[in-house]
Amino acid sequence: MSRLLGVIDAATVMGGLQDLTLNRSVASIPFAGRYRFIDFVLSNMVNSGVDSVAIFPKHQYRSLMDHIGSGKNWDLDRKRDGLFFFPPNFEPNETTSIGSFSRLEQHIEFFKRSHQDYVVIASSYVIANIDFEEALAEHLIHDYDITEVQHNGKSLEIYVISKALLIELIEGRRSSQFISVSDVVKQPLHNFKIGAYDHKDYTAIIDSIPAYLNHSMDLLRHDVWSRLFTQDRPIYTKVKDEPPTKYSSTAQVSNSMIANGADIRGSVENSIVSRAAKIGKGSKVKNCVVMQKSHIGNDCSLEYVILDKDVRVLDGTSLKGTAEQPLVLRKGSVREAAMVKS
Amino acid sequence: MVKKKCVAMLLAGGQGSRLHSLTTKIAKPAVPFGGKYRIIDFTLSNCTNSGINTVGVLTQYQPLVLNSYIGIGSAWDLDRRNGGVTVLPPYTEASGVKWYSGTANAIYQNLNYIEQYDPEYVLVLSGDHIYKMDYSEMLDYHIQNEAEATISVIEVPWDEASRFGIMNTNEDLEILEFDEKPAEPKNNLASMGIYIFNWKSLQKYLDQDNLNEESSHDFGKDIIPLFLNEGKRLMAYPFEGYWKDVGTVKSLWEANMDLLEENPGLNLFEHSWRIYSRNPNQPPQYLAASSEVTDSLINEGCVIEGKVSRSVIFQGVSIGAGASVHESVVMPDAVIGKNVTITKAIVPGDITVPDGVTITPEDGNEEIILVTKELVEKLRKDVTA
Repeated sequence: MSRLLGVIDAATVMGGLQDLTLNRSVASIPFAGRYRFIDFVLSNMVNSGVDSVAIFPKHQYRSLMDHIGSGKNWDLDRKRDGLFFFPPNFEPNETTSIGSFSRLEQHIEFFKRSHQDYVVIASSYVIANIDFEEALAEHLIHDYDITEVQHNGKSLEIYVISKALLIELIEGRRSSQFISVSDVVKQPLHNFKIGAYDHKDYTAIIDSIPAYLNHSMDLLRHDVWSRLFTQDRPIYTKVKDEPPTKYSSTAQVSNSMIANGADIRGSVENSIVSRAAKIGKGSKVKNCVVMQKSHIGNDCSLEYVILDKDVRVLDGTSLKGTAEQPLVLRKGSVREAAMVKS
Repeated sequence: MVKKKCVAMLLAGGQGSRLHSLTTKIAKPAVPFGGKYRIIDFTLSNCTNSGINTVGVLTQYQPLVLNSYIGIGSAWDLDRRNGGVTVLPPYTEASGVKWYSGTANAIYQNLNYIEQYDPEYVLVLSGDHIYKMDYSEMLDYHIQNEAEATISVIEVPWDEASRFGIMNTNEDLEILEFDEKPAEPKNNLASMGIYIFNWKSLQKYLDQDNLNEESSHDFGKDIIPLFLNEGKRLMAYPFEGYWKDVGTVKSLWEANMDLLEENPGLNLFEHSWRIYSRNPNQPPQYLAASSEVTDSLINEGCVIEGKVSRSVIFQGVSIGAGASVHESVVMPDAVIGKNVTITKAIVPGDITVPDGVTITPEDGNEEIILVTKELVEKLRKDVTA
């Protein structure tokens, strides 16, 4: 049985991703054709042997709850331990800083009742394949109070801490003035021994629309996907009963990642195409991310465009963004070819 | 147990010997089909989509894969508090082990399973066919016609009728006679192996058949004649739509190719009648810059670097650069090496086809090649020689 308790702080709001978070939290932004951001950290926990994971959402968490469900897809529908979902009480001015003590305090009983002695507290938006057992080993060898998981010196806002210290910090938050685990690590003046665990493998932090597109394109590199999606540490997600993808006689696909249930009749280059997306005949899709159930009609031309879920691009439409400023088509929106007056 | 209106009994013990190496280790209903599914998925999904949620699956031949695949039935939403899916293998009694000696005998030996639910109707199915059918409509037809038994039939071309069990009916589709593979068929309505029985009558005739030592304990040959001899009302239920017995390598290949039509007879993309299966949870497929994919179905987890045309590719397959796969079916986790040419073949799962090998039928040969480990080994030696 693992000594680690998992906590995913899904309260983050990111201004840079606003176009993709109108109806959902950052944690449930679709990524890599069939996943959501949270799938990565949640699968990392499960693959590290964590049997008990608590998710603390804050804003717009309907889609997140729908995605996670009972935790069955992560094998977390257990009689003992398993998955816990802790929606927040109403606190208007609360911090969204990772590991907020006031948020954790609302469910302190969970920590007190759990048998695990250590806690991994993680943000919900890091795309990586991390072994938290290794981070815990580092934490124990050096006798750190808090270990921060980093990549090339940059914080991933993932922390390992003993449960006893965490409870002490939560209960003492009013006198200590520390507001979160992240806050403790960032403050210069205290007596805690803060260490770092460096995750050397591929890691992406997605905090803006250009970063979203850029890191989506990373997935097309063999060295990236082969290390992110491994056989022994798979990334789990909510499975859908989509059929295999169908390619027609006019399909032309190159250097792209295509999820199941898609219907490809046009040309697709350097792109990510999600579940049940449709790309019509004569259309050219280049450097794009097409999210699930979005339909691109016939004879369209799209470059550097991110299509959120359920977008309709009608026949003959041309849309162009740039790598620095990708065009985002919001969830459920419809785009048609500009009307030309005769 | 809560009473059920209709219980389904799904016969899944068949060997499917004409599928050769594909069924040496698994039963025919477990054979992969359509890039993602196993044959039995179609019948199980039909049950769920028809609102029939109590299904006994009768297994016998090589049941390991089938049993673990079905599990508690959650993939088909058949993990129910009351009913759901139950795998029913042969079992031992005080008098010894009793293997299922025929389709009717398999049901006879599980009468106590059906009794628990005290149903009005029993639906008998076979796990060998690819089709979509609403069994609830057939049940309505059975009830409206006040039949004792209803058999689903499909029109087959007259010149092929002698390969099937043919139902001779009157104009109202009442069955007068059952002709197993008639030399001179009087009708072209073939039995699809789908039966609805009134439970009480079925029970009676199964008991009767069991006492007959001459009987082969087969539904078509033995049970249906018992109903007919006593003048019971038997109806034929005409089915229109795609239905295929995938009992041979050729027909399995053809049924896969049928899916690639522009408007296939059996549409896997239909939302209102989903075909459910165990989902493998693999990353999306990756099509490299060197790939060329047309007229094909490809499942998740594949890495395609070569050319794929008119083919069905299952999950986790890799196809190397310079390879060309045409009019073929490649099953889960097979590896197709670089510069391989494969035409009109079925590549079973877990087979590795080494670089540079060519597998293609000789001119004029209509047979579909079933790739085996032995064939691959021989070709590998030819390439290196």
